[in-house]
Order: sequence, then C-alpha cells, then structure tokens
Amino acid sequence: MPKKVLIVDDDPDVRLFNSSVVQELDHIPLEASNGEEGQQMVDREKPDLIILDVMMPLQSGIRLYRALKTDSTSADIPVIILSGITQHSFMKSQEALTAFGGSDIPAPEAYIEKPADFETLSMHIEKVIRRE
Amino acid sequence: MTTIKKMLFASKFQELTFDALESLLDLRAAGLDHVVFLYVVERDKVAMHRGVGYQKNEEVKLKEVANIHFIEWAEQLFEQGMEVGVHIVVGTLVQQVTRAAGMEKVDLIVIGRPTRGLWEQLVSGSDISALIRRTNVPILVHKQLPSESVEKAHAFKRPLLTTDWSPAADRAQEYLMGLKGLVDEINVIHVGKEKALNSLSAMEVQGYRNTHRKKLQAVCDAFGNVGIQARPHLYVGDPYQEIERAAREWRASMIVMGCSGKGSWRERIIGSVPRFLAEKSDFSTLIVPRKQAE
Repeated sequence: MPKKVLIVDDDPDVRLFNSSVVQELDHIPLEASNGEEGQQMVDREKPDLIILDVMMPLQSGIRLYRALKTDSTSADIPVIILSGITQHSFMKSQEALTAFGGSDIPAPEAYIEKPADFETLSMHIEKVIRRE
Repeated sequence: MTTIKKMLFASKFQELTFDALESLLDLRAAGLDHVVFLYVVERDKVAMHRGVGYQKNEEVKLKEVANIHFIEWAEQLFEQGMEVGVHIVVGTLVQQVTRAAGMEKVDLIVIGRPTRGLWEQLVSGSDISALIRRTNVPILVHKQLPSESVEKAHAFKRPLLTTDWSPAADRAQEYLMGLKGLVDEINVIHVGKEKALNSLSAMEVQGYRNTHRKKLQAVCDAFGNVGIQARPHLYVGDPYQEIERAAREWRASMIVMGCSGKGSWRERIIGSVPRFLAEKSDFSTLIVPRKQAE
C-alpha cells in the first residue's frame, strides 16, 4: 500500500530528486520548503515518513524534529534526516537543547549525509517503512 | 528591554567571518537564540552572457561553496543549542537582505563593510543608505576592530553613542538602555558644528558648551538610572572625523547612532554621517533606524 512521504528541504532540486525516488518506490511524495511549512504539512497530511533537511529558512530541521518527537500526535512518525550537517553535530545539538530544559528525544530512524544517491535513499526509505 | 532574539548575518565570508559572529554571541544575554545566515550570489556572476546563456552551473557551484562555509558555522551554533537558518540566493545585497529580514522577522541585521565602488554608489545609491530606507531593523556594519583597541571581543561592551538630539538619536539611546547586562560602559558624544561657533563671542561659546554638556549629562543620567555607567563628551568639528577620533580616544567597541533614513537624494550625492561611518570608519557601526511611524 502506498505511503505518504513528506520531504522537507529548502532546495528545490533536492525536493525534486527525493520526490522522484519516492515515486519510483510507489509511494506518495509531499513537499515542504522549510520547517514551519513542514510542521503544517505534518498536522494536515499525517505522513507515514518524513525525510528532513536540517539547515533551512524559518525553522531548522533540528527544531522541527524536536517538535515532532515531543508531540504525541507525531512522535511515532519515522524520520530520515538528510543533511550536510553531521550526525554527531545533530545529536550534540539535541543534547544541548535537552540540557536547556527540553525533554530527552530518541535518535532519528536513519541519518544520511548529503548528497544521497538513489540506492542509498531508496534503501533507507524501504527499510524504515518495512520496520514501521 | 531591547530584545535581540533573531539576527540576520549576511556574509560574503571575506569581510564577515566566524570570528565576527563569535564576537556577537554575547547577545545571548539579550535573548539571541536564532542566527539566520544569508549569502547573496551577485546577479552579474551568473547573468546571461552571449553564447552561454544563464550560468546555472556557476550558480550551483557558488551556492554549494557558500553552503560548505555555513555548515561549518551552523554546526558550532547548533551544538550550543542555538537555532540556525540559511538563505543562499541570487540577487542584489539590498534586495535580499530586506527580503530575508522581513521573512524571518529579525531583530538585528549584521553586514560587512560595503564594497561597492564610488561610481556604482553615485548611480544607484549606497547599500547602507538603501537598507536604512527599506528597513526599520537596526543594522550593524561589522568591522575588525583596530589593533590598538582593547575591546576586541564584544561589540556591545563599550559603545560610543553619538547624539544630535534628534528623535532618531533618542531611539538609539532607548535601544542601548534596553541592553543592560551586555553593555559595561557607554561614552556619549555630541559633535558641535565649528561654523556655528565662529560667529559667537567667548561667553556665548561657553554658554553653548554648558547647554550641551547639560544635555549630555541628562542622557548619561538616564543610562545611570537603568544601571549603565555613561560618560558625556562634547566635541567640535567635522562630525565624521570627531566621532572617529572619540571612538579611538575612549576605546569604543563600536559606534552607535540613530538615523532618520530621510533625505535620500541629497544623501546620494554628498553622503550622510551614518553612511560615512558605516562605510569608512574603522569601528563597527550600529545604525538604529527611525520607527516606522516617525
């Protein structure tokens, strides 16, 4: 059964590529160009998987990820981080936010450092969706 | 209380480096939590050329290079628990700074020293003047401080506030008064016009001095009332030269001034003091524009 996959990335070329991978796998791509728009799409569309960039205008993937994982309505949606930011830095930033009084949040289901090729991205999408 | 929660940092990497950003991170005491990076790919670098067309590959390359810089910087800020945003766009500096500042609703714009040539500025006006006209967000033109300055690290520690008693100067004063905790000491300066003193008698000159000293003292007392130490200084002469001299003499960490943003045509030809300081001074210059309704 096709799943809704939300792609949150400010780079239109990356969104286009990711969408084509999602379509190739017979799923339904949805797109948002920044964290704020991504949050609205999550609320409206209830996607089955989110592919999330980190560095974006208005709201970063780091804050959106935290918001998703601390909200009971979206905490269970699996997230693949696809970013130029290293996984180490991503996790350290989450630790820093937890130290400032935020709650402890789990690591993302998968972490891919940009650029992602077709095989890598499709393999992670399938893996996460199967696990779900 | 002045809140600087979100800052737009428009860098071309050469004139505004990570050092500059670090020197502003004490703004966290004023609420800074979100830094938005902006890199503008100048249009003429990717524009249409005969036989080549629009240089899309060049655009992609320049954007990727900018992205590499910003990733390095962003990681450092993210790891401190800060929020970071990025805009990498093609256009003109003024247009894109205005757009990003509006979209992100920033509280402070930080840019490097403008680098446009005299001819370009005469034709289309200076970037600083254009920005002042288009936004009511304070603009910090950041520069590496002169080597003799003792206050290298923190731009807001020891500002020199210039006042001409205008509403714009009052706004700059209010702005600094709201930054208690960040500012250690303020030197307040008014530059009297030499021409105006030429026709006065010695007694009248003394009267002029007393009047302005009293007004300066009133400003310093207002700072004292909110717990910021301030010292008054009256200088006479060319405003640009005297403000620059005072900044050196009192070891300022930056120059702060209000700006009405009016008089654009006259200003385009002969320039204004805020624009001169922003473009020529060795010191970082914070320009606090008038409020929208003024």
